Amino acid sequence: MPTYVQIEKGRPSDLPQPPPRPRASWHLRANAIVVGWLSLTAAVALTGDMLPAPRWLLIHVFLLGAVSTAILIWSEHFAVALMRVRTPPQRGSLTRLALLNAATTAVLAGVSVGPWQLAAAGAALVVGVVLWHGAVLVLLVRQALPGRFGHVIGWYVSAAGALAVGGTLGALLAAHVWHGAVHERLRAAHAEVNLFGWVGLTVLGTLFTLWPTVLRTRMSEATRKASRAGLWLASPGLTVAVAGLLTGWRWMALAGLTAYAAGGLAVLAPLADALRRRRPHTGAAWMLGAAIIWFEVALAVDLVVVATRPAHEVAAALDPLQPLVLVGFVAQVLLGSLLHLLPAVLGGGPARFKQNAALLERGWAVRLAALNLGVPLLLLPLPRPVTSLGWALVLGSVLAFVVLAVIALTRARLAGTQPAVAAAATGASGLAKGGRTWRRSLPVVAGVAVGCLLTAAAIVVATTGGSGPATTVTATGSRTVEVTLSGMSIRPAVIEAPVGTVLTLRVTNADAQRHDLRLATGERTPMLAPGQSATLKPAPLGEPVDGWCTVAGHRAAGMTMRLVPTGTAAASRPQPSTGHNGHGPAADGLARLDLAAPMSPGWKPYDATLKPVSGGAEHHVEIRADDTLVQEVAPGVRQRVWTFNGTMPGPVLRGKVGDVFVVTFVNGATMGHGIDFHAGATAPDGPMRTIQPGERLTYRFRADFAGAWLYHCSTMPMTQHIANGMYGAVIIDPPDLPKVDREYLLVQGELYLGEPGSQAQVAKIRQGDPDGWMFNGTAAGYDHAPLRAEAGERVRIWAVAAGPSSGTALHVVGAPFDTVYQEGAYRLRARDPGGAQVLDLAPAQGGFAELVFPERGTYPVVDHTMRQAEAGAHGLFKVTGQ
Amino acid sequence: MTWWSVVRFLHVLSAALWVGGQLTVSLVVLPLARRLLDEQRRAKMMSAVGRRFGIVTAAVFLPVQLGTGVALAWRKGVTWASLADPGYGRILVAKLLLFCAVMAAAGLHGWASATARPGLARAMAVAALVGSLGVVLLATALPAT
Repeated sequence: MPTYVQIEKGRPSDLPQPPPRPRASWHLRANAIVVGWLSLTAAVALTGDMLPAPRWLLIHVFLLGAVSTAILIWSEHFAVALMRVRTPPQRGSLTRLALLNAATTAVLAGVSVGPWQLAAAGAALVVGVVLWHGAVLVLLVRQALPGRFGHVIGWYVSAAGALAVGGTLGALLAAHVWHGAVHERLRAAHAEVNLFGWVGLTVLGTLFTLWPTVLRTRMSEATRKASRAGLWLASPGLTVAVAGLLTGWRWMALAGLTAYAAGGLAVLAPLADALRRRRPHTGAAWMLGAAIIWFEVALAVDLVVVATRPAHEVAAALDPLQPLVLVGFVAQVLLGSLLHLLPAVLGGGPARFKQNAALLERGWAVRLAALNLGVPLLLLPLPRPVTSLGWALVLGSVLAFVVLAVIALTRARLAGTQPAVAAAATGASGLAKGGRTWRRSLPVVAGVAVGCLLTAAAIVVATTGGSGPATTVTATGSRTVEVTLSGMSIRPAVIEAPVGTVLTLRVTNADAQRHDLRLATGERTPMLAPGQSATLKPAPLGEPVDGWCTVAGHRAAGMTMRLVPTGTAAASRPQPSTGHNGHGPAADGLARLDLAAPMSPGWKPYDATLKPVSGGAEHHVEIRADDTLVQEVAPGVRQRVWTFNGTMPGPVLRGKVGDVFVVTFVNGATMGHGIDFHAGATAPDGPMRTIQPGERLTYRFRADFAGAWLYHCSTMPMTQHIANGMYGAVIIDPPDLPKVDREYLLVQGELYLGEPGSQAQVAKIRQGDPDGWMFNGTAAGYDHAPLRAEAGERVRIWAVAAGPSSGTALHVVGAPFDTVYQEGAYRLRARDPGGAQVLDLAPAQGGFAELVFPERGTYPVVDHTMRQAEAGAHGLFKVTGQ
Repeated sequence: MTWWSVVRFLHVLSAALWVGGQLTVSLVVLPLARRLLDEQRRAKMMSAVGRRFGIVTAAVFLPVQLGTGVALAWRKGVTWASLADPGYGRILVAKLLLFCAVMAAAGLHGWASATARPGLARAMAVAALVGSLGVVLLATALPAT
């Protein structure tokens, strides 16, 4: 295989040149994709902050776009060349390449613009393509005769496996399946497996043959042994490391990474051997050498980070190192390899080869120096101008290569279109020809550059604020605002201030994952780790300014805010380009529920603790209806409710079977109300009748049946009376109810925002379209005031579904029920072998479930009708103890 | 459908003619001419195409574009002061500046072709093409209200 010889010996001028082969042309086209992605990477880096999720985009355009395409092309090419097997069907290779690029585009679009399903589908496709690629490589090994280079393929196949894992993790990240610490661990594992697996293993495997070739020396005798040992250490090591990061076992991760690093060192032995024989003298050799050094540095730093941080902080700690890995190692390997390989692939005769090599190597020493000087400038905490210089050096170096590569590629294409001329040309005239085409393409390149620069300048004029007369706003005052990032929202979501106010935003990340805040005017905070703060000082307020979190997907999830100057009409304008639909703030006087917002000062949760049965067989209770009280129904949302005894839900009545309840019902409200106890058996005509304000009645019932019973206002329309808060629970203990350590009662009700009885609210009630769901009268109240328990304690949770229109599927995350009592009967007892996950109650049903918390921690209690849980039927158990 | 739709139609049509014409010449005519014609005929043909395109530009494209453009701006209530406002005004002014630059590049292309400076001519032709794509981009970015 001629290509093999070229790469192995690196002296194509000694060999008769075959005519242009189909493979050369398909490699040519394929490498154009890599060059395209590279220039796109540079474009993304230059555009920077104007894009959504700029950092993520930069990394993925480069790694998933340029690098993965290059790996797919070259690992197959090397496999074929080294094993001396027949090229696999070209159609398959092209299909994989096309699919990978489509998948990459889907991932980029899905994460930066949404929806996340697109990104997840793209990631799945990436995994599929790379598995296919791995399978093709395995088939190649099967076909091949045993040879000297078979060991290299193991590296490629392992690398493919690594991307399959990394891609899967990426899809999970894009889907935001987990939050907080788990998300961060996942991110760390995703980064490690993709960089050190997919990229690292491929590069290490390739270096065995590429490095001696680039140095133009023979391969070390120890190569095969080193390769075997290296792969045996690196591949399982990485697996262990990823497993350790995912599970959060730091020492396991460290052990795995150490094994991987040992594998990396084993690989170095034959490389150093080659280096002893021949000093690097070409641009490609120097670039590859520098890249190897950066790789080892990155690995060493990674080891230190993993050893000193808990797994969920690894990803954040590694973020500042991205330039080192991406530029120093990956980009440099890519550039170095392309520098060496492109002339060989472009083919076209020894003269053309020399000429292409000379073209691509033009100014390599400067480019090498710029790139490797740029990396530390980007890495170190230096002031902004110096960092910009670093970017300029790095991008300049990359762009210089892109331009040279484009010239070489077009030249080859032009030569390809005139095969007769090219074939007839001798070396000398070929050189002349090449010179001519190069000169011919120069005006085109220059024209494109001029046009692009002009357009870019025009776009800058069009989009920047500049200092036009209308945009300068004189400062009239100043104000400092605390801004909190948490739970996929920014608070306050709207900051209003008079025109000209100099705002100082103190931004704090109160979430368990990383966020930042960027304003449309360009100001931005650094990426804030949980608990970190930063200050933003935008220009004096002149016009509405949008703000959002740039972490991929967060803007679409609702992390947006807006600075609005008062005294302009802009406040009521609908927000442009916020990903979520739904009611804009103050659109109909009703805010979107922000369940993560703090409760108002002075708010006291409804006590969920259920008091034991009081003595005696007759219970006397007075219940007063009231429809004037204001209660906090959701974090920061206070509205009028209709209540029994001033609370929503009303007072809890508890007794034993056979107890008699004498209820004096007083209507202290402004309209008629009634009361209906489900626990009693009596004709409804008398006691359940509606009484007018100021009237009273006595309701007497005997609790003949055990259970958790609802009572509610019996006045029509009952939907409104119940929806506005007139409900409560009667608990009649079943005979011989065992004692437990704690008993809680959750009465679930629907929340309809707005003035009770108003047209808008009634319409929502009649449609059964609540704004939220509440446990004991506050949506997500027990998120802010968690219920307490100790590990190992038996806890009984009583529940009643007040509706009016929806029931509940009560579930405690992390703790199955061993006892379920529902509507007067045990469905499950502690001695039964089975367990239950949900206590399901239709509207007005009640019961209890018992569980034992296995260990300390925070256990959410939710209505597993997830829509209702996410809209407030959600609370927390804080379990202390062992 | 008012007369203003007709004015806007003419504006868009004339722009499409000009940008589309350039794209057709660069992507279809030129490569074919390079493949099928010998050097001499190609030069003759290309200079003829260039001259015709220049005449169309000066006689039809520029008058139509400037006339309809000014009319549309007048209807929109654009003033010199409003050109500095962020949003519509600023995008419009950027588009106008880019348009002027494109026209300058096209003019340079014509001059360079006439004075036998093929390199410069080619560079300016490509710059004009890319720039006019930028004009279209900015035109689509103009807020619709």
